[in-house]
Parts: sequence; structure tokens; C-alpha cells
Amino acid sequence: MTSDGMVLSTVTRTFSTGAGIHAVDLEIAPGQVHALVGRNGAGKSTLMKVLLGMLRPTSGMAQIAGVSVQSAGADVWSRVGHLVEGPLIYGEFTVRDNLEMSAALHGAPRPRRPALVDRSISEFGLERYAHRRAGTLSFGNKQRLALAAALQYDPGFVVLDEPTTGLDPAGTILLRERLRRCAGEGAAILISSHHLDEVSRVADRITVINEGSMIGQLKPGGVELEQAFFALVLADDEQRRSGEEEAS
Amino acid sequence: MTVGGAIQAAVGFELRKSIRARVPLVAAALLVLGVVAISASVIVAATNGPPEVVAKLGPVVRAGGWAGYLDAALQVTGAAGAGACGILISWSFGREFAERTISGLFALPVSRTALAAAKLVAFFVWTLCVTAALIVVLLVAGFLIELGTPSATDVGVIVERIPVLLLTTAAMTVAAAWVTTISRGLMGGIATTVVLLASAQVIVFSGGGAWFLPSAPALWALDPSPSTAVTLLWSLLFPAAAITVTVFSWRRLQLDR
Repeated sequence: MTSDGMVLSTVTRTFSTGAGIHAVDLEIAPGQVHALVGRNGAGKSTLMKVLLGMLRPTSGMAQIAGVSVQSAGADVWSRVGHLVEGPLIYGEFTVRDNLEMSAALHGAPRPRRPALVDRSISEFGLERYAHRRAGTLSFGNKQRLALAAALQYDPGFVVLDEPTTGLDPAGTILLRERLRRCAGEGAAILISSHHLDEVSRVADRITVINEGSMIGQLKPGGVELEQAFFALVLADDEQRRSGEEEAS
Repeated sequence: MTVGGAIQAAVGFELRKSIRARVPLVAAALLVLGVVAISASVIVAATNGPPEVVAKLGPVVRAGGWAGYLDAALQVTGAAGAGACGILISWSFGREFAERTISGLFALPVSRTALAAAKLVAFFVWTLCVTAALIVVLLVAGFLIELGTPSATDVGVIVERIPVLLLTTAAMTVAAAWVTTISRGLMGGIATTVVLLASAQVIVFSGGGAWFLPSAPALWALDPSPSTAVTLLWSLLFPAAAITVTVFSWRRLQLDR
């Protein structure tokens, strides 16, 4: 399967504990915000790491813009913005310096960087902190900085793991607006979250993952989202238990 | 982004980190001031101290004056340089795991191969700066403790042997970067540094130093004969291998732990 977006084709990546993801198929189309929801340890971060080349799949293939992640070059990666696990923030640098370094690492031409940095600072409400060392920022403001760094060069492919963690309501709204704008410009966006209400507001598609497998979809904007989520997860758990009992 | 542009971005990124962070500055200051303070104290004690102290320090400082002072500096630099360089390179590679910035170094147009190479470039640039600072401070301290004017031989020791000693000693500690990478933390690198230092001391004292590659820089610096020079050249295989496996490990890195 090839696509202009991000694709996982029958991807399996397991760890020695047995945890991981199993035969996952997922396509995130350009212009779409695709949310991944699941309980802790369901496999959301593993899936994102495979998509970003942080983990090699045991089998199957991850592709971005039709190119295998394993062989993707600078042309592909320069269009990817991500925040998975820790942010690329160094405490000894100011907010502005961190954004400049991130822009440089993403291949933004030197003359364009100051404007990109200014815009990111403004978009994420970091003006007051622009010249403060990142190490002195609150957790929430560090998260704003991390998101600003991930999104500042208008990436065509965005992968964000729990992006609203630590954000106040104002920060959450800023992020939502930024993601909708990115999607409007044609970006393929994958986010994970525990906050079903928030996901419902920003996502075009919501996929539920449980025990490393895709188990269904939720309807964005639908009522009783939490109830629908737990119904899917519990039904999957029950099915697994029955399968295991039959196998033993 | 071109390959050249990626390497330039990576080197710029690592040099900025080295300049702004405190660890490289503190390590440099401790190494330079420590080596000079110990060397100066030894020569002052050997010149003006009580006979029992002079007797103990005699083999260390040999002729006294600039020659003795620089002998002491070479001995201290061998050990202290390995310690400081090992800590610095462990910090440079290990901080990405400890501060969880490593995931941000994936999925970039600048490859991890370029980033690892840039870290090594920044490390050797730091070593060159420390070498220059050590030479200046050694000279200034030598004048301050009234050693007089150094001879041409003494100047040769300062501008030739100390730079070669420090740069090759730094190269020997690149193995710590590899251990840091595979252990996903800076403590592995620091432990490697300690093992290199301790094993070099033990093996040299037991007479087998000529065959222990990491001790070759210090042995050459104290006795730059053709035989120790050949061993020094051979010893460069050790950092060459360490550089290769470190860069390869970064290229193949997975966040699976």
C-alpha cells in the first residue's frame, strides 16, 4: 500500500515481554487529524516510534509519503514534525535558541529561521519567555515550547504523543487551532491522547488500540464517547480472555 | 537538505551545546587548573621542601626547573586528561538519554550518523581548546613560580608533547561514548573511563604498559623514543575502532529500552 500520507502495513513490533503492536494496519491521509486512543500500555507510543524510525518493525512496513521509513532520507524527514517521549529541548538554551536550533536541524534555511521562530513564539504564547532559559520554564510551558519546535516549519506529517499533557486550557486551544490549520494545509497528523473529549474536538478519525491491536473506531463529535471507548475495549478484553481459555 | 548542509547543521548544533553548557567549561577548568596546580606544587615542594619530601618527589621531577615541572605536568596530564575527557564524552553522548532528548534526534533530515560524528568533532575541538589553555597556563605558572626562561627542549615539550598527549589521550576515551550509547546512559561511559584509567595504571606499574594501547600516549610523552612512538601509532587503532562502532551504533540506534 502506498499513500501520500503515513501508512502502517501489517506492522508487528514486539518486545521480550510480549508487549508491542501486532499486525497493525493504519493510514493517516493528508489533511486528516487521526487520533489514536487506548489505555496505558496499549501500544500507542510503540506504533508512533515505528512510524518515526525509532523502532524497527519485526515485520510489516511503515511508510511516509510512499517511502519506507527505514530508507527515508532528508527530503522525507525535513517534512516531519514530532513529539514522542522527550522533547528536543536543552535547558541551558533560551526558548528562542531552542527553536532556532530545532529549525536548523529540520533544514530551515538560515534567513528564514528568525521569522519561523517569531511566528512559533507568538502562536504558542511564549513571548514572555522567549529569552528565558528553557530549564527554568514550568512543565506546561516546556510542553508549549516542545510543540512549537515540532510544528514551526509547517510539517506535512505530524506525530504527537499525548500533546496536551501539561497544557492549560489556553494551551490546549492553541494546539487545537494549530493542528486544524496544519491539517487545512494538507498535513497528515497522528496524535494520541487519553482525553477523549479533546480528541473528539480535534480529530477527523479516532482509532482505538488495545493490547497492541486496532479494535475499532469512534465517531468524532459523537456523544458518550467514553462509554463507546470502554465498550470496545472491554469487549476486546473479553474476546481475548475467551480465546486464551479456549487455547488452554 | 544536502549531506554537507546536514553535517554543518549537526556540527553547529553540537558546538553550540558545548559552548553553552556548564559541564565542558567545568571539566576544562578542572583539568587545566588541576594539572598546573599539581605540577607547580610538586616542583615548588621539590625545590624548597624538606629533604624527605624532596627524596620522595625526586623521581617525579627529575632535574627540577622547567624540565621537572613539565615532567610532572606530563604525568598528571596523562591521568587527569583521561578522566576529564572520559567524563566529557560520556556526558556529551549520555545526556541525550538522561535528558530524554534522544527521541527528538530521530526523524530529522540530519541523520544520527551526522549527529554522532558532530559530537566527536565538538569533543576534539574542546580538547584542542583545553590543550591551548593548558599550554598558556602552564607557561604563565612556570614564570610565576620563577622557573626562569624555558630552554628550547622545554618549549618543545610544551608545544609538541603536551598537545599530542592530550589529543591521543582524548581519543582513547572515545570507547566511553560507545559504552554510553549501548548502555543508554552516561554512567556506563564514566565506568568505562574509570576502568581505562585504573587498568592503565595497574598494567603500566606491572611492566606490561607497552602492550596496553590506552596507556601508549602517556608512555610516549614521558619517553618519546622510536619504540614508544610506534606503539603510539599502533594505539590509534583503538580510538579508530571506538569511533567506528560508536557512529555505527548511533546509526542503528533504536529506542527499545
